[in-house]
Amino acid sequence: MAKAREIPGLADAESFRAGAAAAVEVRAEEVFEHRDGVLDTGDIERVHDMRVATRRLRAAMEIFAECFPRKAHRALLKEVKALADALGERRDRDVAIAALRGAAAELTATERPGLEHLQDELRAEQERANEALARALDEVDGGGLRERLLAHAVAARPA
Amino acid sequence: MKARKVTGLDPDGPLEANLRRIVSVRLEELRSFAPAVGDPTATKALHDMRIAAKRLRYVLEMGEPVLGAPAKRGAKEARRIQDLLGEIHDCDEGVPRVLAHIERLRGEDAAALADGAGPRAKDVEPSAIREAPHRRRYAGLESYCAYLQARRDVLYAEFVRYWGRLERARFGDRITSNLG
Repeated sequence: MAKAREIPGLADAESFRAGAAAAVEVRAEEVFEHRDGVLDTGDIERVHDMRVATRRLRAAMEIFAECFPRKAHRALLKEVKALADALGERRDRDVAIAALRGAAAELTATERPGLEHLQDELRAEQERANEALARALDEVDGGGLRERLLAHAVAARPA
Repeated sequence: MKARKVTGLDPDGPLEANLRRIVSVRLEELRSFAPAVGDPTATKALHDMRIAAKRLRYVLEMGEPVLGAPAKRGAKEARRIQDLLGEIHDCDEGVPRVLAHIERLRGEDAAALADGAGPRAKDVEPSAIREAPHRRRYAGLESYCAYLQARRDVLYAEFVRYWGRLERARFGDRITSNLG
């Protein structure tokens, strides 16, 4: 799991609002730094890292919600949550498949078929979750979520 | 679970004072689940407690540069709670999933054997069991289910011990009185 980036200037922020702008800006950037390769089911850490970054962004947006215009903030938070949900659906299957694979490795060949059968079912779900994630990412990219989040953060900076 | 509203926040006020106010509410939110800790069947409450621990953890992590070492330690403790309850939740979701899978296989096997016996059959011969398409799949799934159940029980016991240690160490008071 990727370590959260330090938020420059947070320790010396002159107000709650100044901290809000800095935190949301950094956490929004982090989400999109993990964008590449998340649809690759051969490397499940990528989707995990983006999901964790999305969770951190959501947390920052919830902590500092009072510092932003309510309506715009809620709308952006809803979009971030939709992305987080799509990442979560994929991640849940990734984790379940990995756990089954680990357990199967401990069993004899005659005991494995049931776990392999369940893995096949989960792989089909993983594929569907990945397709839904691809659509969610298209919406995020097409709707310019990154740019809107950054503009939202910058606008919250104290004058 | 909807987060408790934090009142009295001031966007133009000091970061530290606002964060302390949020931490205090999130800590109370987490501690409100204490009565559920002793009930291993309280799956919904334990799941909500995990979310409360996550919210506390994130505000402590965010505030660490301002709130100092107690926030760092508190975040680590909240994360441990979150992780344990997360693993417990995974087991709570996993067991019914595996049982449902076994049930589906059993239904498909029963249908296949009944079909194989023919529409006018008066009984099903024991030898038909060899034709059950999923007959080799049950053993591993049953063992996996037992493993998940055992893991759930062990993780829950560890969680109760960990929570007890935190409560005895008055971790909530330590966090709120030492921040900043």
